Amino acid sequence: MCVLCGELIMHVHWTDQPAHDVEFKSTVTAGEGQRDRMRLRLKRVRLSDKILGYYGLSIRDWCGSRYMLADKKGNSKIVYDLGDMWKQAEELAHKKIDPLDEEFLNSFAQYSGA
Amino acid sequence: MQADNRCPITVVTGFLGSGKTTVLSNVLKHDKLKNTAVIINEYGQAGLDHRLIRRIEERTRLLSGGCICCNMRDDLINELKDLLDAYERQEVKIDRVVIETTGLADPAPILFSILMDPVLVHHYYVDFVVCCLDGANGELHLRENAESVKQIVTADKVIITKTDLVDTETIHMLRHRLQHLNPAADVMQAANGVIDPDMLFMSKGTHIHTAEKLKEAEACVAPGAIKHNETVHSMSIKFYEPLDWTAFGLWMSMLLYSHGEKMLRIKGIVDVGEKGPIVINGVQHIIHPPQHLADWNGEEKNSQIVFIMKEIEPQQILRSLETFQHILGAYPKIEEINLNPFG
Repeated sequence: MCVLCGELIMHVHWTDQPAHDVEFKSTVTAGEGQRDRMRLRLKRVRLSDKILGYYGLSIRDWCGSRYMLADKKGNSKIVYDLGDMWKQAEELAHKKIDPLDEEFLNSFAQYSGA
Repeated sequence: MQADNRCPITVVTGFLGSGKTTVLSNVLKHDKLKNTAVIINEYGQAGLDHRLIRRIEERTRLLSGGCICCNMRDDLINELKDLLDAYERQEVKIDRVVIETTGLADPAPILFSILMDPVLVHHYYVDFVVCCLDGANGELHLRENAESVKQIVTADKVIITKTDLVDTETIHMLRHRLQHLNPAADVMQAANGVIDPDMLFMSKGTHIHTAEKLKEAEACVAPGAIKHNETVHSMSIKFYEPLDWTAFGLWMSMLLYSHGEKMLRIKGIVDVGEKGPIVINGVQHIIHPPQHLADWNGEEKNSQIVFIMKEIEPQQILRSLETFQHILGAYPKIEEINLNPFG
């Protein structure tokens, strides 16, 4: 449970699983690994933003705990994890999100100069 | 790498009459497995005596808005919680739980229930799914029943049973089909339900059959003997450069969000440029928590991912991966594609 907002975290999305569970430790110091975590989050935001650009959406990190998804008309939504993100994005963009869609792929390839 | 003290769960599936109970009752006689709790999903009669056996009836709860693979199995959750209670009260000793499903059950909701329940996820993990395939009637089952195909596809290990009843030719043929249908599975045989429990329970199946192995199997079978009648495809993709894990997670979650029901199985090892690879294992919408291995165990540092899907062309996946390559950081190379891998 998040102690600040009282929100129950029922499960952790697979993309948010700790990256180094090989080095299992029985005690964890508070705040340790936060730099890495933050770096990964910001990277994810950067990449997601590229993809979501096609749908006219943008995403940013919100206090290191959530993401804020917004369209160009000023509507925004709070997003918890990647499982949640695509669903919210679809609702906000009123478009079907599909990584196999030809049009999307063409535009995505051009956008990034591939 | 036993970093946690959660209890392993083995799910045993297999079509009606494929010999699940026979294999289980044989295997569980071994001393090593004496602290095994068995949950049976039907009214079985076999003598699994002096084990803790629980029988449950199927009660399925549909999550609001969820697809068919995201059903919660209420019955199973309650049963596992009861078992946990008994264990915590020290009434029983449990090293492992085995769940035997009905012949028609879909394994995906079972995995989903265990991985998504906030209590169970901290006390249990599914270490693998075993599927029994009838050596005598297996081909018929695969051809006639979509359930049977799904069970094979979701399995980590496949046991060909009743090998005492059929000739080696048939077994070769079945093995060949299995490798096409699910290149990621370990295939073993059991004559009259006899199988080494070490092989079944102890070894961790993380390896993937390589093209060479497939060729070996192909060499055993007469060509042209395979008929096609379905839209299930499997393919194996390799990446020779490290993948960006963040980008891969994005792509995969996007794919599963829009096509989860059609992606029957995703299994593979991913090189993310660290000391060891990451093992991913997914059944439809459900992805097991990715496992980070300590090292490569002397193997080549290549990512290899097996996709088994229905109604999606392998080329579509490949095209998508190619377009994503600049954020993934690596170019996909097809190892093999099996269109309609069974008939």
